[in-house]
Amino acid sequence: MNEKNILGLNLSFLSGKQTLSLFIFLSVLILILIIAFSNGSFDFSFISLLKGETTHIERTIFFEIRIPRVILACLVGSSLAISGACLQGLFRNPLADPGLIGVSAGAALGASIIIVFGSTIFSKFVLSTFLLPIAACIGSGVVIFLLFLLTKGFGHQGVTYMLLVGIAINAIASVGIGILTFISTDSELRGLTFWTMGSFGGITWPLLLPAIFIIIIAFFFLSPVLRDLDILQLGESEAKSLGIDVQKLKYRVIFTSAATVGASVALSGMIGFVGLVVPHLVRLIAGVNHSYVIIGSALLGSSLMVIADLLARTLIQPAELPVGLITSAIGSPFFLWLIFRINKA
Amino acid sequence: MSIYSEKISLKYNDKSILEDINIEIKKGMILSILGPNGAGKSSLLNILSGDIESNIGNVFYDNTDIKNISIQERAFIRSVMSQNQPIVFDFSVRDIVEMGWLDKGNIKYSNNINNAIIGVLNDCEIAHLEKRKFNTLSGGEQRRVHFARSLIQLWRESGNKDSRYLMLDEPTSNLDLSHQIKLMNMLKKLANNGVGILLILHDLNLAFNFSDYIAIIKNGKLFAYDKPLNIINKNILEDVFELTFNVDIIDNKINVNYI
Repeated sequence: MNEKNILGLNLSFLSGKQTLSLFIFLSVLILILIIAFSNGSFDFSFISLLKGETTHIERTIFFEIRIPRVILACLVGSSLAISGACLQGLFRNPLADPGLIGVSAGAALGASIIIVFGSTIFSKFVLSTFLLPIAACIGSGVVIFLLFLLTKGFGHQGVTYMLLVGIAINAIASVGIGILTFISTDSELRGLTFWTMGSFGGITWPLLLPAIFIIIIAFFFLSPVLRDLDILQLGESEAKSLGIDVQKLKYRVIFTSAATVGASVALSGMIGFVGLVVPHLVRLIAGVNHSYVIIGSALLGSSLMVIADLLARTLIQPAELPVGLITSAIGSPFFLWLIFRINKA
Repeated sequence: MSIYSEKISLKYNDKSILEDINIEIKKGMILSILGPNGAGKSSLLNILSGDIESNIGNVFYDNTDIKNISIQERAFIRSVMSQNQPIVFDFSVRDIVEMGWLDKGNIKYSNNINNAIIGVLNDCEIAHLEKRKFNTLSGGEQRRVHFARSLIQLWRESGNKDSRYLMLDEPTSNLDLSHQIKLMNMLKKLANNGVGILLILHDLNLAFNFSDYIAIIKNGKLFAYDKPLNIINKNILEDVFELTFNVDIIDNKINVNYI
C-alpha cells in the first residue's frame, strides 16, 4: 500500500469504486451549487452576473444574501452528515442521529442560554459572533459525553437502548428551553422563537465565518483517525488489542461530532434526519469504511441540504417553507425503513 | 522469553475475581486455561493482554512490565481473539482481516500485505469467503475470520525472530469438529515456529491432547498448573468440575469421558 496523503487524509484505504463515487458526489455538488446560485425568489441570470451585466442591487443580493445562504446550507448539510456518521461509528449504532439521540437538543439548549442570558453580558466582546456556536458546541459535547457514560455503564445494549436514552435527553433539553422561553423578555423571546424555527434566511458573513472556522478545525481533527474508527467497529477491547488508543480516539470523535452539530445548530436551529439518512446512503453506494463514509457524507450532505433549501425557498414563492420540514419529509420514511431492515437482520 | 504474571489479583465491587495468580505463556508452548463458567478465565486473559489492569500484581512481556509498553507496541507482540461482539456495518471478510494488518510502524512489511492475507485466508479455509459480507456468515465462519485477523496481526517474514504471542478466548466455539481439529493443528504448528499461545477451552480432550501446559482456575484461584499428564495423574478433574470422569491414556493420547 502506498501512502497517499491529501490534507491529512489517508486515501490509501479507498477502493476504486469509492474513489469514483466520491468524484461523482463532488461533480453532483458542483452542479447543484450552480443551480442554487442561479435560482431564487429574485430572478436574474447567473450568466449575466458572470459577464458583469447586472445592477448593483442584483450583485448585492447575490453576494450578501444568496451566496452566504447557499454556503450555509452546504455547511449545515455536511456537518450534520459528518456528525451522524461519526456518532454511528463511535456508538456502533446505525440509528444514531444527532437529532434522535438528543445531541442537537443539547446544542439548542446551549445556544438558547446564550440568546437569553448572553446578549446583555457579552455583546460588547469582539468575538461575540463565536459565542453562540461555542455555547452550542459545549451543549452538544455535554450530551454526547453523557450518552457515552450512560451506554458504557450498561455495556453494548443493542441499538434501541440509546434511542430511549435519547428520548429522555431530548425531554430534559426541551424542559430547559421551555424554562428559558418562560423567563425571557419579549425581544429575547423573538430571537429564541425565530432561531428555534430553524431557517437559513437572514444569514450574514460575520455569522457564517465562525462556523466555517469551527467545522474545518473539527474535520482536520478527525481525519487522522478515520482508519481507527473502522477498527473500533470490532469492539473496544479488540481495537485496543490492535494498538489503538481507544480513549483518545473517542475524545477526538466526540469533539468532532460536538463541534459540527454545535456549529450547525447555532446557525440554523434543529434540522432532523440529515445525519441519519446521508451516511446510510453513502454506505449503500460503495462501502462502509470511514475514510470513504466521512468524505462522502460531507459531499452528499451538502448536495442534499442545498437542494432542500432550494425547494424551501422556491416551492411556494414568495413565501418560504421551513427547511427542516423538507428534510424530515425525506428522512422520516427512511428512518422507518431502516428500523424494519435492522429488525429483520 | 515469555509473558508472565506476578501475583495478580482482581476485585470488582469488593468481589474477588482473581486471587494471587502466577502464570507464564512460554515461547513455542501452548498453555490452556480450563475451568467452570465464571471462574475468572476471561478476566485473566484480559489482564495478560493488557485490556484491563489488575488491582495487585504485574504482567511482564519478555521481562518488561506491561505498564512500560505502549498500546501500539503491545499490538506487535501479542494478538487477541476474544468472544466476539456483533459488527453493525457491512464490512467484507477481507476488510475485517485487513484490520489485523498493523500498518503504522510496519511499513517494511507493507508490500507483503496481499500475499500475507491470501496465505492466511487459505490456511483458515476462508479464501472463498473473501468478498462476502461478514454479517452474512455463520457463527463458525465468523470465528474463523476473526482467527485469521489475529494471525495477520502477528504475521512476519520467514526467519524473523520477534517474540510473538497469541491469546484466544474459546477459539473452537461454534466450529464444526473437523475445523476444531484443524485449528488446533494450526496452533501446534505456530507453536513449533516459536509463537507462545494462550487458550481458553472447554473441550477437555482438545486441551489435554494439544497443550504443553494446563492451568485450571476455580473461583478465581489457580487450582492446578502443570503438564497435561501430571494433571491427569493427580486425579483432580472431579474436584473442579464436580462430575465423574473416566480417563484412558493410550500411546500418550488422553481420552476423557464423563459418566
